[in-house]
Amino acid sequence: MAGISTHVLDSGTGRPGAGMRIDFSVRDGDSWKLVKTITTNADGRTDQPVLAADAAKVGQYELLFHVGDFFRRRPGGPAEPVFLDTVPVRFAIFDAAQHYHVPMLCTPWSCSTYRGS
Amino acid sequence: MTHDVTLTRRAFLPAGLALGSLVGAGAAQAQAAAPAGLATAPVSQLNLSPRLTMHAIDIFHGSPGAGMKAQLSMHDGTGYQVLRRFETNRGGRTDQPLLIEESYRPGRYELLLQVDDYFAGRAATLPKPTFLSQVPLRFLISNPDERIHLAILFTPWSYSYYRGS
Repeated sequence: MAGISTHVLDSGTGRPGAGMRIDFSVRDGDSWKLVKTITTNADGRTDQPVLAADAAKVGQYELLFHVGDFFRRRPGGPAEPVFLDTVPVRFAIFDAAQHYHVPMLCTPWSCSTYRGS
Repeated sequence: MTHDVTLTRRAFLPAGLALGSLVGAGAAQAQAAAPAGLATAPVSQLNLSPRLTMHAIDIFHGSPGAGMKAQLSMHDGTGYQVLRRFETNRGGRTDQPLLIEESYRPGRYELLLQVDDYFAGRAATLPKPTFLSQVPLRFLISNPDERIHLAILFTPWSYSYYRGS
């Protein structure tokens, strides 16, 4: 399967990052064009692919994770974002036949992303 | 724009020239492209005054992220405005704090790392376009009384950043 997928994990609790907003954009010339806004499901994933296989093209993409809002809504979370708020992850599809799984592991004070599988 | 924190190529010249005199220019160039070895112990910044510092580690090569071009921007309400452009020093840090005293203000910041140029300079074999190219690290300074150390771990395929110490 080609395309783009993601998975949000709350590293501080070891639980899926459920209900996090993600804005998915594609590079269009000199700017980013919003394709869609997604909310992660109970498993921290998205019900539909972020980008379906048949829509995958070589290019630059952005996943904007709303990490600050996610933790602000958590019981015991900070009232306002303290260190991370929106976290953009920009990456390329360099071969449209491959799949790009781009997870987000986060706490209010740290985040990590990588090409997963 | 404040003064640049710059690591010049001159910092690497003595080692390169010494090697060149022994084994020739080709080998010296290859050596220059290789990451710097670890020559320093960790630095404690305990009890330092409020400031923004950074440290980038290339965990692909197991070395400091030395000589990486970066720019620091601050959000002015409409967009991120560049405050300064710089290169990391041999230790993957900057010689001076990125922000300190009157320049250390609460706000939204973005550190943009030229990860593609960095790995191209180390002759890493990667697809084109590279998976990561210019990596934006966004963070807040929310308390001007506490310093922020931005710790960054990166490879051509991944990165992580966090409030370090």
